[in-house]
This record gives sequence, structure tokens and C-alpha cells, in this order.
Amino acid sequence: MIGKRRPAMQLFLVVLLAWSNVSAFTESERYGGALNYGEYGRASTFDPITGNDMITLRMTELLFNGLVGISEKQEIVSELAKSWKITDNGQVYTFVLRDDVLWHKGSDGIAHRFTADDVKATFDVMMHPKTITPLKVRYEFIDKVKVIAKYKVTFYLKRPVLNGLAKFTFKIIPRHALRNPEYLTRDDPFVQHPVGTGPYYIKKITAANEVIFQANDKYFGGRPYIDNFVALPFADQNVMNQALAFNTIDMVVQVNPRHIPELQGDKRIVLKPYNALSYAFFGYNLRNPLLSDKRVRKAFALAINRKEMLKSFFNDQGTLISGPFAPGSWAYNLDVKPLPFDQRQARELLSEAGFQMNSRRILEKYGKELSLNLKVPIAKENEALKRVVLAFKGYLRRIGVKINVQFLEWQAWKEAIFLRQDFDIMFAQWVFDDSADISSLFHSGEIGPWKNNFGGYSNAHIDRLITEAKLTLDHEKRRTINRRLHRELAEEAPYTFLWTLTNYAAYNKKLRRVAIHPYKFFSYSNKWFLTPDERN
Amino acid sequence: MLTIRRILLVLFKEIFFSLMLLFGVSIVIFNILYFSPGDPFSHLLSGQLTDVSARENVVNALGLPSSISGQFFSWLVNVLQGNLGTSLRTGKPVLDEILLLGSNTLFLTIGSLLVALLISLPIAIFSALKTSSFFVWPLTIIAYVLSAIPLFWLGYIVIYISTEYFGVFPIQLGFAASKTNETIIILLPVLVLGIASGAISEMVRYIREELTRVLNEDYIRTAKAKGASIWRHAFIEGLLMPITIVLTNKVPFILGGAIIVEQIFNRPGLGRMAWQAAQDRDFPVIMGITLAAAILVRLAFLLQRMIFMLAIPPHQINRK
Repeated sequence: MIGKRRPAMQLFLVVLLAWSNVSAFTESERYGGALNYGEYGRASTFDPITGNDMITLRMTELLFNGLVGISEKQEIVSELAKSWKITDNGQVYTFVLRDDVLWHKGSDGIAHRFTADDVKATFDVMMHPKTITPLKVRYEFIDKVKVIAKYKVTFYLKRPVLNGLAKFTFKIIPRHALRNPEYLTRDDPFVQHPVGTGPYYIKKITAANEVIFQANDKYFGGRPYIDNFVALPFADQNVMNQALAFNTIDMVVQVNPRHIPELQGDKRIVLKPYNALSYAFFGYNLRNPLLSDKRVRKAFALAINRKEMLKSFFNDQGTLISGPFAPGSWAYNLDVKPLPFDQRQARELLSEAGFQMNSRRILEKYGKELSLNLKVPIAKENEALKRVVLAFKGYLRRIGVKINVQFLEWQAWKEAIFLRQDFDIMFAQWVFDDSADISSLFHSGEIGPWKNNFGGYSNAHIDRLITEAKLTLDHEKRRTINRRLHRELAEEAPYTFLWTLTNYAAYNKKLRRVAIHPYKFFSYSNKWFLTPDERN
Repeated sequence: MLTIRRILLVLFKEIFFSLMLLFGVSIVIFNILYFSPGDPFSHLLSGQLTDVSARENVVNALGLPSSISGQFFSWLVNVLQGNLGTSLRTGKPVLDEILLLGSNTLFLTIGSLLVALLISLPIAIFSALKTSSFFVWPLTIIAYVLSAIPLFWLGYIVIYISTEYFGVFPIQLGFAASKTNETIIILLPVLVLGIASGAISEMVRYIREELTRVLNEDYIRTAKAKGASIWRHAFIEGLLMPITIVLTNKVPFILGGAIIVEQIFNRPGLGRMAWQAAQDRDFPVIMGITLAAAILVRLAFLLQRMIFMLAIPPHQINRK
């Protein structure tokens, strides 16, 4: 009951806060100032095609635009496209483009006009075999693009897709600024000197690798309020946190859970939660005969106290989950409750599965001890992760299961899990986009080197449900199937589902009207502003 | 005249050996990279192109030789032409990045060596001269305690004290920061690395031992008896040589420490670049930095040889 009431209260507070901000400053008072934000390192590139890290993703949000965008209310809104038309069979999308959009000035010093040719060039570059981009697989459903007129472009799809329009949020790049207009690699100067249409352009990158963004006066959506965004790369999270507390920077995009209590006590700092579509889990290798019995896997889930782990390692900043979707997602089935902490039931399940305690207090079956390895990637200085893993080991030891923890360097871990499938248990986290597509995780067709069904989970019934959910164009039907998938996969327990952590951005309270996109982050930053008296 | 010819001869010999050494180093590092798990492509693709054949397509599209020797020799040929390649992560030329950041790291390295020397030299000289003094023991202990401080710990402590008690955030923020505390920002990492890199205790011990040994030599005793300055006679063998030796020996260790200091104080430098490159499997960058580090260590050694040759007349070497 309490859990249900809280979000409503928060909503009320947010509305009140937003209202008081808006009333306090006039339109002209909002212009000006610089926002210094801390980043977790340098961006690899500044273009939306070859960039593949979160830092780049956030920066390209300031620099580029898509044909359409997603509003704060999760509605699809116009960006570079003024209007659009979709044929009845859902396979032909025609966009009428804005004719008043200028690219940032490039190396030639000219602000070129954005046209339909750029849209086509972007798609072709993305799909070119020489372009290495994570986007390629996501847009394979598009067959071809045709330029109809200077400001009109048509996409032909291979098959109709659900929520097709939302896929056209990919960022458009200018044809004229590429060294080679057919493909894009990281040695093209464009990736370091991007030319976009967005609210900001890169003014300078300093010797200390700070990226200074300057407001685009000609932005078609209106000039943004804040003059400069400055991204400061930090190698160390403790130091970044210290910098925020010391007013040296104004914003941290994602606060380490460890630092939350400290920042909560600081009156000058606002902690803003934003939903991340991700969750953590322990995954099992079902090729191991000891783990192929679902009673064993379920016993493991029952034997660990996830509530306690979330509380002591993450200050309770998260939600326990019960199935394969992120709880923020529409596909999540709230009727399925997370398994309780019940070691007695866990023991019963294991003895039912034929295991007996031996003299060394380890369970065994046919003379084989229930002793498993657990492979964990070493993430960037993440102590919480180590504690989770050691707690898991401790809980299982109490019911007679022996876990040998192995920490592996990230690339080594990836090869062990995804290429060689040489593991019993693994710990990881999935991050989703809003399509809630889990087909690559549990479909038997996805078993194999570098594929996502690393545990080798294979179930004809689940395969059928997944395919059905993927093919249907009816959102409600898809939701129903996904809810069913959730319930059945919770029962099957190919993973021990753990939790979704709440992400927090932290910023100085001089920054106002802050709205954050779950992973692109800066989508609405052109409406943020700094209070006039506290600008530096 | 003779000396110059001798120096040139040694120089050429050293350069030849250094080139051989660099060749060896690059082969070893290349093999380690090649056989270590993960490759740049799985990082670039971030698990997105899940298909094995798709990965091969990308490698083909980029025109990479498939065999390890093919890859090594294409790299070597490029290096011999002065081209270290481009970073796989940023697409920028490796050489430019190294030259840009190398000066920062060089400053940090040399600066912290000087700091360590400034602390250890007085202690060493004092304890060599006043062997019976009460203060020798506590000074030695101080040197050891300073050396035992973990680098990362001192880094955090210094940042904490500086912000909490002096109101200075000791991290370089070019655009954001006021320019008033620039000196502190530059000097703090140098101080921290100099103090906590573990060099001090070894410097004290080595210089003290050498100096004590030299001061007990017969010729010093004779000089003393004649009332001549002992420093004029003991300087080269008792101070200059041990200092040169211990400084050059410490270069690789300080370079290692620079990685940590650059992380904590958020300074752009080779150490941080190497760290990032290792995580991304950015092979050209790793190779480039390894070469740069090897060259730096060799240069230090060469400098030591030169100093020795200038300091010690040839007939003395022959005598030994």
C-alpha cells in the first residue's frame, strides 16, 4: 500500500516545484551562464554513428537531431520532420522535413541547409559494410530510402514493425561534412569535429579534454537558455563527487549509490531520480547438468536475501524484480512477485532434486559436489558489485552450495561467457531500450558464439511466445504475451533476477527546469536554465 | 678531442642497442596483446554484431591482415616511416596524442623525481656525515614511512585537506576554474608522486651507503689530513654517481606511479591514456605508449652513461 502511494506524492511535489520555478523568472532572465557537468571519462567520438559509449550518446543529444523525438511525456514529437504519413500496410513512411534548419558551421565556415539528401545519406552510411556501428542491427528492418523532393523523404520497410515511428529518432548527420559520403569510420575527421543541427555545437576541446559546447543561436527549436555546456572528464568517481560538493562542477549525470547519503545531506544539491531500463541478475549455464534442473536454480534464488543486499549495498535505491523485463517498462508484469528469502524451502527443493549433504557440509548428488564457479567482470571500481557477489557466495554456502568466485577483466569475461561459454554462473546487467525486446536473451535461436543466450536456455514453448510477441503489431496483444513470458520465465528461472537500481543525477540547485531522458539524458536540456544571480 | 670521439662511439653503440631493445619490446608487447582475451573489434561493436561472420566482415572491410606476423609487420613498416597509426577509439593519430600528453607526464615524472631527491638527499648526507647523531635513526624512519604511504591514499588525503581546509580544489579545470590556484594544481600531483612513489627510502639508503663508503676511502682521509675540501674529492664518486644511478633506476617506477596520480588528480597524461587504451584494447595506442615509455627509460640510461663518461676520466675506468 505504501509503495503505491509514494509515486503520487512525488508527482505532486515535482509539479509544485516546476510551477514555482516557472513563475519566478521571466523569459529574458533565463538566458546565459555555463553549466559544468562531470563525465565518467572522455567520449570516444562525437558523432552518433560510430560512437558506442554512454558519454558520446549524451553529447550527441546536444549536437544532433532525429527526424522525430520523444517528449517528456513519452510522446512522439516533430524534430527535423514537420509531418509524416504512414501507409495503411505500415511499410511506407513518408516524412515532410522542415525547410528552416541549418547545419552548424563546418570547416568551410558555411552553415549549409539541411535537406532530404542528408537523411538518405545518414541511413546509407549507417548500413554501409565499412561503417562500424551498433545501430546497424537496429535498422535492418528498413529496406531503402528515397528522396522525393528537397524536403521530402520516404522510407520503405521490409516488414511492418510495431511502434515504427519511434525508431526514426536516430540522429541525422550532414552529407557535406563527411570525408567520404558513403561510409563513416573513426579516422574521418568528422567524428572529432561534428557538424549537427542541435541546440549546441562544440566550440572547443581544451588540453585537459574538456568539451565546451556553445548555444546555437540559429537552433530551429529556439535558442537554448544556457550559453555553454562544459563536459569535464573525471577518471575517479570520488573526486567527481568531491568536485560537485565543492561547487567546482554543477552536475553529475549519474551518482554512484555510495555517494547518495552524502549528497542527500547537502542543501545546495538536488538529487533527481530517473528511471533506467536495466536490471542486474545471476545467469546460469544450463549446459551444466547440475544447473539444468530448474529446482536447483529456483533454490538459489530463494536462498539469497535480495532485499537485504539491496538495502545494505545500495542504500535501498532500487526495486527488486521478478522477471526478465525492467520494472519501468510497459512489459513488466506486476502480478508476479519477487521470490521471498526462504532458505528452508531452498533446502527442500535441493533435496527434492536429489542432493544430499556430505561430511564436508556440501550438497552432492551421485558423488558429485554442488560446487560451481561464478564469473564476474571487474567493472570500473565497483565495490558494491564485489559485495553482492560475496554475499551470494555466503548465502549459498549456508545451504551447502560451494561457489568459487572468479573476477575477470571485462574483455576476458566477455570471451569466457559469450564466446567460450566457459562458466557455471555469471553476474551481469542488461540495459534495454524501450522496445522491451527480450528475444535475443531467451530464444533458442540465439544460442551460439557472441550471441546473447549465453546460458543455452532452450524451451520450445518460450520460443513460440517470443516469436509471437515480436511479430504482432497489436500493442495490447504484445503486452499480454510479454506478461505471460514474464510469469513463465520467472518460474523457469534461467536467471536469478535481482533488481533495477534507481539512477540519480545530482545538480546544484541553481539549475532549474531540469527534465532528464532515461538514457539520452540531455534531450530536454534546451529548456534548462540557470538562476541569474548564481551564474559564473 | 679523445673524449668526444669516445662519447660518440658509445652513443652510437647505445642507440643501436636501444633500437634492438625497442624491437624486442614491441614484439613482446604485440604478442601479449594478440594473445590476451578480447580484441578492439569486440569493443568497437560492443556485442552488437553478434555474428562471427559479421565480425570477420568488419575486419575484412577495414583491410586488416589476418595473421599475427602480417599485422606486426604492417605495424612495424608504418612505425619505421614515423607513423604510429591512429587510435581505434578516437581515430586520432597516436603520435600526436603521445607528444601532446607526453610533456605532461614528463613534467610529472621529472618533477616528482626532483621532489624525492630534495627530501632524500639532505637525509642521506646528514646520516652519512653524522653517523653517531641521535637524529639519524628518526630521519631514516621518516624516509621509510613516507615511502610506505600508498600513492592513491595520499592523493585522496591531499585533495580532501586542500578542499576542506584551504578551500582549493586541486584539480585542473581549464574552463571552469579561476586561474588563481593554477600553481597549486600543477604542483600537488608532483609532490604526491614524489613523496609516495616509494623512491625516497631507496634513494636515502643508496646515496648514504655510497657516500659513507667514499668518505671512508683512503684518499678522502688523506685529503682531510691535508686540510683540503673533502667535497671536491668526494663529490663525483660519493654523490653525483649514486644520485644519477638511483634517479635513472627510478624512472620506470615513477612512470608506473604516474598512472595512479593522473587518475586521481584528473590530469591528462600518458598514464591515463594507457589505462584507457588497455580497457578498450586500443592496440595502436598501447604499442605507441609502450614504445614511448621504453624510449624514455633508455634515454635516462643513456644520460647516466654520458654523465659517467664526462665525470670519470678514461684512465680511471681502465684502472678499475
